Amino acid sequence: MTPAARRLGAPRAVRVCAGVGGRPLEVEGSEISAVRESWLVEDSWWSDQPLRRRYWELVTIEGGDLVVFRDLVGGGWFRHR
Amino acid sequence: MVVAVILPRFSLAIAAGGRAALAEGPLALAPEPGRAALVGEVSPAAEALGVAPGMKIAEALARAPRLRLIAADPVAVADSWERVLVRLESVGAQVEDGGVGLACFEARGLGSLHGGSLDGVVKATRGALRLPARIGAGSSRFCAVVAAEQARSRRPSVVDGAAQLASAPVALLAREPATAKLVEPLSRFGITTLGQLAALPRGSVADRFGRAGIMAWELAHGNDRPLRPRKPSEPLEETLTLIESASGPQLAVALEMLVDSLLARSELGGRTLRAATLSAELTEGGTWRERVVFREPLSDALRIRTALALRLALLPAPAKSLRLAAEQLGPPAPPAEALFDDEEFRRAGRLSEAIGQLRALAGPQAALRVLLADPQSRIPERRAVLTPYER
Repeated sequence: MTPAARRLGAPRAVRVCAGVGGRPLEVEGSEISAVRESWLVEDSWWSDQPLRRRYWELVTIEGGDLVVFRDLVGGGWFRHR
Repeated sequence: MVVAVILPRFSLAIAAGGRAALAEGPLALAPEPGRAALVGEVSPAAEALGVAPGMKIAEALARAPRLRLIAADPVAVADSWERVLVRLESVGAQVEDGGVGLACFEARGLGSLHGGSLDGVVKATRGALRLPARIGAGSSRFCAVVAAEQARSRRPSVVDGAAQLASAPVALLAREPATAKLVEPLSRFGITTLGQLAALPRGSVADRFGRAGIMAWELAHGNDRPLRPRKPSEPLEETLTLIESASGPQLAVALEMLVDSLLARSELGGRTLRAATLSAELTEGGTWRERVVFREPLSDALRIRTALALRLALLPAPAKSLRLAAEQLGPPAPPAEALFDDEEFRRAGRLSEAIGQLRALAGPQAALRVLLADPQSRIPERRAVLTPYER
């Protein structure tokens, strides 16, 4: 990437406490009240930098909607904004 | 006195990973993707088996079944050749780039820097190059090239005028693009040396071979055009590593980002682009490189993109990375005037001026815009990028 071009929405690490099956229970200290959706994204499997993510769309007890994902290749939890 | 430096089989050595590889057996440079199926430079072992540059691949393999084809790497070759030219310039020479493998410079004026003699200049040149090279000197550019062709690896030779050119073969005319086609017909006429060509009446040669014949005749008399040294400049280039192998619309977006980034560079200083080089690293291996000379010096991002997109369409395979380098810069673009009183035009002018001032204060990342790189991507961070604002 040229230094003058920056990607928008680059993932940043978040602190997630997960339960059975990897279901997030708490994100950055906010308790999760419901899971709206979960999906798997696999990409670039043909390259030496494969991408495999489990996304979760969550509702916090404050009513906020947020999307986080677990990196299934390198590990760790992230969100896009 | 002109000094010529020849680095034989330069492209093959770079593509093969070093000069040591040339001794491993019969090697030949494979054609670049999308080009005619002809071999490029060949190793000494392949040459001994009858393989010659420009030969069809099928014929080359028939002559040397163990011939190993090396994938062409024009980007690495161009980068390495640029480093060679910079090293030559480091001895104080004003270097004419004669194409990959050949460089010439005027030794007059350099003597006082390097011991007062031609030998001192040659020694300094070898020291700067740090590569095995054939070095020759002559009264003209062509004489120097002939001298370099005849030189052995450690001893320079000197060709001073027509008398010393007389025994040289006419095949050396192949070094000049304008006279290369005369080698074969001259040989058919039984003219095998430059001395025989020089002995012919100028008018007769001109009648038979036209302008190229006159040029060949002048070269055989030791006359050549003056050197055209290149102007050393700071490299100005932008590279974009593509996360996914890109082709089609993704490449168009990548090109847009590269052009915007290049035009935002402060080193450009408002000057126009006369020529640029597009190069790519291909996913299937190898590289691709195209030089684009614009019809007129350009500073408008849209017109530059339009011209480059035509060449980018020739990319033979998806790319891993894309690079855009400014090769020649033109004069600063004069401020355009609107034909009629146009508020939008004036506003655009004020905006460009404001962006210019902002960048002068805060650098090239001072004024950015959102560019949708791949809006339908499932990976959110691939959908949009921030790129320098260019109108």
